[in-house]
Amino acid sequence: MTENVVAVQHLVKTYGKGNEKKFTALKDVNFTVQNGEFVGIMGASGSGKTTLLNILSTLDKPTSGNVLINNQDITQLKNNQMADFRGREIGFIFQDFNLLENLTAAENIALPLSLQNVAPKEIQPKVAAIAKRLSIENVLDHYPTELSGGQKQRVAAARALVHQPAILFGDEPTGALDSNSARELLETMDSLNREDQVSILLVTHDPFSASYCQRILFIKDGEIGQELRRGDRNRADFYQEILDNLGTFAE
Amino acid sequence: MLSKLALSGIKSRLKDYLVLFSGLIVAAATFYMFMALATNQDFLGKNSMIGAANTSIVFIFGAILLAIITLVYLVYANSFLLNMRQRDYGMFMMLGAKTSKIAQLIFMETFVLGTVATLVGSLIGTGLAQIVAQLLVQQLGLKLQHFNAFYLPAFLITIAFFIVLFILAAIWNSRKLIKAPVLKLLHSADQPARMAVKTGRLAVQAILGVILLAVGYWAMAAIKQLQLLAIPVALVTIVLGSYFTFNATFIWIIQFLKKNKNFALKGLRNFTLSQLSFRIHDYTRMLAMISILFALALGAITVGLGFRNDMSAVTSASTPYDLKLYTTNQAIDQQVAKLNTTSKTAYSFKKVGKKYYYNIAEFEKTPMYYMHYSGSTGEITLPTLQRYQAKDYQNVKQDSPAFDSAYRELRVDDNYEDLPNYAFVDQTKFDQVTAPTKQVVLIRVKDFGKDRQRIGKIESLQAQALPAYKEILSNSKYASAMMATALYSGMIFMGFFLGISFLAMLASCLMFKILSGAYSDVRRYDMLNKMGTRSQVLRRSVAKEIGILYALPGALGVIHVLFGLQLFKILMVNPYHGIWLPFLIFIVLYGLYYWITVLLYRGIVIPKVEIDK
Repeated sequence: MTENVVAVQHLVKTYGKGNEKKFTALKDVNFTVQNGEFVGIMGASGSGKTTLLNILSTLDKPTSGNVLINNQDITQLKNNQMADFRGREIGFIFQDFNLLENLTAAENIALPLSLQNVAPKEIQPKVAAIAKRLSIENVLDHYPTELSGGQKQRVAAARALVHQPAILFGDEPTGALDSNSARELLETMDSLNREDQVSILLVTHDPFSASYCQRILFIKDGEIGQELRRGDRNRADFYQEILDNLGTFAE
Repeated sequence: MLSKLALSGIKSRLKDYLVLFSGLIVAAATFYMFMALATNQDFLGKNSMIGAANTSIVFIFGAILLAIITLVYLVYANSFLLNMRQRDYGMFMMLGAKTSKIAQLIFMETFVLGTVATLVGSLIGTGLAQIVAQLLVQQLGLKLQHFNAFYLPAFLITIAFFIVLFILAAIWNSRKLIKAPVLKLLHSADQPARMAVKTGRLAVQAILGVILLAVGYWAMAAIKQLQLLAIPVALVTIVLGSYFTFNATFIWIIQFLKKNKNFALKGLRNFTLSQLSFRIHDYTRMLAMISILFALALGAITVGLGFRNDMSAVTSASTPYDLKLYTTNQAIDQQVAKLNTTSKTAYSFKKVGKKYYYNIAEFEKTPMYYMHYSGSTGEITLPTLQRYQAKDYQNVKQDSPAFDSAYRELRVDDNYEDLPNYAFVDQTKFDQVTAPTKQVVLIRVKDFGKDRQRIGKIESLQAQALPAYKEILSNSKYASAMMATALYSGMIFMGFFLGISFLAMLASCLMFKILSGAYSDVRRYDMLNKMGTRSQVLRRSVAKEIGILYALPGALGVIHVLFGLQLFKILMVNPYHGIWLPFLIFIVLYGLYYWITVLLYRGIVIPKVEIDK
């Protein structure tokens, strides 16, 4: 039986309080992500991608609707619970890496564990293991400024995964990488998904990145419009379909 | 159009500007208050124990120090302004504003902000000087002569000094922003320097630092041998010593803590440590300076209050008796009854011609108190209160110390040129002397300070009732207390004033230094928030980080003061007496600054829970 790791029901987010001009960023969004699935969310700027991701990651609260992550309704959480939930259940990688440049790579990766009060003895083996998995053992003692973009994003991925979250969120993770590094990162994500059953939700507007997903949801003006499934096709065919689809979807 | 943009920039960051503005006002107000004292020659001359010329030197030295602190302070405030504005300016440039136009804009902004702050600050300084002076006069019972809250030369100096500094700052700002490439202004995230720590050099520095501090402390203790040389020696060695100790020990401790994984890998500790080590080179110089200033400020207040202790000590050393009654009437009796009396003894005497007769029996019954001086020389020592015993009055010669002191305390003769002419006789002989019996009542009270005003009143009532005794009354304990007050008031006031001005300035310096780094921290705290750090954990991390930056120079400063007070052994009875009070006042004020800094910093860096667009 496959369970849903993410279930979004009738999600609405309206900005603007009181007399201010109202703006509805998300209108009745519904979708699910199954355990072990690699799902992409595509949409142009202003389509509501970022708002959706902020709500999913408990950085923002919805106006109405439910969001279940790992069977827990995150819309009911209080401030501290939100932070704790984020720390435990969610891994995050961003376009601009968001590494703390005053900590070494190893220290950056260890931080989520320290925050959860994991015993220092257990932290180091976990950091070493995830670093090995992402092939960054050699740069653990370096500061982020001493790393290449690709290495930085791997460190960020290691930090996002070290505490074994329920789901990994990627917010345009390849946006600041050159094409080789981007391809490497996507392949790593793909293998994490296949071999380690990491559930991934990737938000992007880049069709190439999206082509690594198993399923793509298209979001436009705050609504999920269309859904593409890769099925058994190879990546190149899927890529072509995404491109075709973007052409018609944009109109 | 650009000035409109600039204004809108100010509006959107009103809170930050208010911080900056109030900081500048504090600086200007402090500077003015100090100058109002330092430039007032009349005040200094009339209120100092060590002469107008020497006092001037102290104050010129103080003024130079304050000017340097102000300069440093403005540099930090200025970099706070720059950090705040550079993105906006970068944006204007990107929109196609000419660099010369931007330079003009920056110049105007810095200059206008500075000038307005200076004017407002000087006015507030005038008000504050008045309030502080009044408070001190009321609370400490001081007498100030020739003190004017508004003093035109001080006002002009303050304005001139600040305007020159602001013109320099404005030029600096506009040049710096113009030279920087637009893109750098837009993304001015700090690049951390990897700490290249050489353990050997660190150890040498630490040892050197401690040795220099030891030499400095020794120099202050050995002021009797070194004379005036002690001060420059101590100043140089302690400044350098502080710097080396900070540089070496600070880095070493952070390294040690970071290496200790059991300590570092808990919660946000590693982050907090890294934040500290990230800024280390920037901060050591600053912290060393703050520790010195802290010591100067705390020292000034301690010495000021020390003089107050001295004042009462010197007063109480003058005579064991707080009040002498030569006459009495209803009004006097009423007042005397209200005193908190611990002993009250009447001694009788008879006067024949120029000779005074006293009754030994009375002294045997209630022997007198006297002040005993122990014979040591050099350091100032206080006499101790002692009491004669009955046997001291038996079978002794006429000019024995016991009789001398009795005569001195009881004399009603204001002719000090003639030799004392008195006889202590037994009861029978005393009764045989044919003259009216007169009395002097000697009173000791529990707390002279508390009863001082009432005693003053009784003295003036006596002077009214007995005009011939005016001269005698002018030698009373009350009179000498009034003289001591006049003598010490100026010193106490100056100590307090110097201390508070320095504290205000150094704490503001530290505050802006820390706050100017806050903007580059916003991203880091945002990141930690996204990783699921509870906001109270973030708050605690801010409080700890800033707490350490405040505590370190404070602690070293306290040590400096504890040793530095040795210098004042030649001026004061016991510089360490009642030392907790100035320390408490100072630490409360310093703590207040710490708390404000933490609040402001949190306001800048802690992300909001709910995003509002």
